[in-house]
Amino acid sequence: MNAKRNMAKEPRSREGETRQMEGLGLENVIERAQGHDADALGEIYSRYVRRVFGLCRYMLNSRESAEDATSEVFLKLQRSIESYDGSIPFPRWLLRVAGNQCIDALRRRQRGLKVFVEVEDGAAAIEVASSEPSPLGAVISTQERAQVRDTIARLPENYRVPLVLRYYGELSYDEIAQEMDLERNYVAALIFRAKQELRRRLAPRRK
Amino acid sequence: MECYSEQTCALAVDGELAPDEAQRLRDHLVTCRRCRDLVDALRTENRVLSESLQELPEETASPAGFSHLRRSRVWGDLAVLVAVLALGSIGLIWFNELSIPAALEWFNPFSASGRTNLLFSLFDHFPTGGTAMLTDYAAVVGFLSLLLRLGGALLLGRGRLRQPGMRLLIVLLALSLPSFALERRHSDFVTVAANETVDDTLMAAGNTVRIEGVVNGDLLAFGRTVEVRGTVKGDLVSLAKRTVVSGTVEGRIYTFSESLDLDGLLGHNLYGFAQNLRVNDRGRVGEGILAAAGDVTIEGEVKRSVDLLTSGNADVSGSIGRDLTMSGVSLTLTNTARVGGNVKAHLRQLREAHIADGATITGKRDIQVKVRQSQFTRPRFYFHQAVWFAAALLVGWLALVLFPGFFRATSQAVGSGWLSLGLGVAVLAGVPMVMVVAAITLIGIPISLMLFAVYLAAIYLAKVWVGAFLGRMLLKPSGATKGDWMLGLLVGLLILTIVGFIPYLGGLVRLGVVCVGLGAFCGQLYRSSRPVITA
Repeated sequence: MNAKRNMAKEPRSREGETRQMEGLGLENVIERAQGHDADALGEIYSRYVRRVFGLCRYMLNSRESAEDATSEVFLKLQRSIESYDGSIPFPRWLLRVAGNQCIDALRRRQRGLKVFVEVEDGAAAIEVASSEPSPLGAVISTQERAQVRDTIARLPENYRVPLVLRYYGELSYDEIAQEMDLERNYVAALIFRAKQELRRRLAPRRK
Repeated sequence: MECYSEQTCALAVDGELAPDEAQRLRDHLVTCRRCRDLVDALRTENRVLSESLQELPEETASPAGFSHLRRSRVWGDLAVLVAVLALGSIGLIWFNELSIPAALEWFNPFSASGRTNLLFSLFDHFPTGGTAMLTDYAAVVGFLSLLLRLGGALLLGRGRLRQPGMRLLIVLLALSLPSFALERRHSDFVTVAANETVDDTLMAAGNTVRIEGVVNGDLLAFGRTVEVRGTVKGDLVSLAKRTVVSGTVEGRIYTFSESLDLDGLLGHNLYGFAQNLRVNDRGRVGEGILAAAGDVTIEGEVKRSVDLLTSGNADVSGSIGRDLTMSGVSLTLTNTARVGGNVKAHLRQLREAHIADGATITGKRDIQVKVRQSQFTRPRFYFHQAVWFAAALLVGWLALVLFPGFFRATSQAVGSGWLSLGLGVAVLAGVPMVMVVAAITLIGIPISLMLFAVYLAAIYLAKVWVGAFLGRMLLKPSGATKGDWMLGLLVGLLILTIVGFIPYLGGLVRLGVVCVGLGAFCGQLYRSSRPVITA
C-alpha cells in the first residue's frame, strides 16, 4: 500500500522535473544522466533520437532495422553514458555509439562475412576521373537533394557507411577507421571512391 | 610547382591532411587557379552532401513510429479513399451502363427505383433467401472495389498495400469473390489436426475452431472459442468470444473477441478489439499492438510500439521495443517492464500511474491527466455549436431547394408521432444488425459499407425534419413559402439544440428526435418509391 502511494507520487514530481529539464544545458543533463536520472536520459532521448535514427536509417537502409538499432542505442546508453568523458562533443560521441551499433547490425546481417572490403589506395585509378569537375557542385534544388539522398541510399555498404559516417555523423577518418575496423588509408580511399561513384550515378540524371 | 591530386585536395577539404602538408597546399592554392577551383568544387560538394543528408531518403521518417506513421497514414488513406471514390464513380457509371439482369435491377443502387428501394429491399431480401443473388451482386461490386482499391494503392504508392486497414479490406474483398481459393468448414467443432495442412485460406465457423496443424493461407475464424495451437502462415481474422493463440501466426492478427490470449508467436502486428487482451510471458509480437480493450496485460515481448485505448487498466511487466501510448484508467509498469521508447499515458487521475523504480524506460515519460472541464465554459464549444447549427441549416436549405416536395412531406410525416417513432426505432436498431449480418457472410461487405454511409446520413438528417416540423408547429405560418419553412427550421433547430443540452432529458430528447426523424424519413422514402397508381 505504502509502496503504491510512493509510486503514485512519482509522476507528479517527474512531470515538473521534465519541464525543468528542457531548459537545462546539455552538460547538466548529461551529468544527471550519468547519475542514472531517468528524466535526464529521457531528455537526451528526445533531443537526439531523430539524429541517431537518421544515421541508422542511412547506414542500415531499412526503416525497421534503423528503428531497432535506435532503440538499442538508447537502451545501451543507460549504461554506457557513464563512460562519456567530455573529450569530444556529446552528439558526435553518441553518433559514434550509434555507428558502432549499426556496423554490428550489418555484420550480423552478413553472418560473419566481411562487410567492408578493403580497397587498394590506387591513386592512378583515381587520377583518371579527377579531371571531371564535381557534378554535385550545382545541386541546389530540393528535388536534386532528394536525388542525392536516394542515390546515397542505393550505394553499396562499402561506400555508403563511411560516406554517411563522415558527412552525416561528422566523424573523423580516424574515428571511422576505428568503427569500421579498417586502416585510415582505406577509409580515405573508400570515401573518395564513394564520392566518385556518387558523381557517376548522378551525372546522367543531371544532363 | 606540380599540382596536387584530387585525393589530396579532398583530404584537405575534409580537414584530414597533416598540418605541414595542409600548409604547403594552402601556399600552392594562392598561385594555382586550377587547384583552387578543384578545392572550391570539393568544398561545395561536401556542403551539398551534408545538406542533402539532413533529411532521410524516401520519406521524412520518424523513429517515434506508430503515432507519426498513423497520422500520415490517415491522410494517405483519405487520399486513397478520395481517389477510389473518384475512380469508383467513373467505374460505377460504366457499371450502370451495362445491361443488368432484370432480376437485379431492383438492387442496382444507381437506378432510380433501386436507390430508394435499397434500404427496404434489404429487409425483405434476407429472410426470403436471396443470398444467391446477393452473391452475384457482391462479386461484381467486390471485384470492382478490389480493383479500385488496388489501383488506388498503386497510384499512391505500393507501400500502402501493407497498411493494416488496407490489407484487411483487400483480404475481405478478395474473399467475397466466389472464385477465390477458399476452403470453408462449418460444423460445431472445426479442427485442423496436427498432421494436417490446409493450403488455401481457411474460413472456419463453429462453436470451437481449433487449429493444430498448418494453414498456409489466412485463417478466418468465427466461433465461441478460436484456438491456434499450430501454425497460420497468413493472417488470422477472428470473431470469437475467446481467441487463444499458443502456436504461431506468421502474419497479423485482427481480432474482435471478448478475450484474446497470445501465448505463442505473432510475426507482425496485432490489431484488436477485446475486453481482455493478454500477451503472456511466452507471447512474442514481431511488430506492434494497436488495440481498443477493456484491460490489457503485457507479460511477454512486443518488438515495436504498443498503442492502447483502454476502458480499464494496462499492466506491463514484459518488454516493449518502442513507444507505449495508452489512454485509460490506470497504467502499471512493474520492475521487470522495459520500454524502448517513450511512455505516454492519458489517465483520469495521476495516482493511477504506477511506475515501479526498476522499470526501464528509454525515452520520456509523459503522464497526462484528462481534466474534465465544463464544456459550457469553453469558447470553442460555442464555436462548434454554431458551425454545427449552420451546417444543419444549410443541409435543410439544400434539401428544401432540391427536393421541396419530399422535404415538406417528410417534415409533416414527423407529425404522425408514434408511427414515425416506431419505424425509427426499428430502423435505428435493425440496420446495424443487417450490416453485421452482411459483413459476417463476407459477401455483403460492400453493401454493408454503403448501407452504413446511408445510415449515418439518415441519422444526421433526422433533426432537420423534426426541427422543421417543430418550427412550423410553433410558428403556425399562414403561408408555405421556402422562407416560411426556413424560418420554421431555424426556430425548430434552435430549440432542439438548446433542449439537447439539458442534463439527462437532453440525451433522451436527442434520441427521440433521431428516432422520429429517421422514421419519418424512411417512411416517406418508402411512400415516394412506390409507383403512383392512377385510376
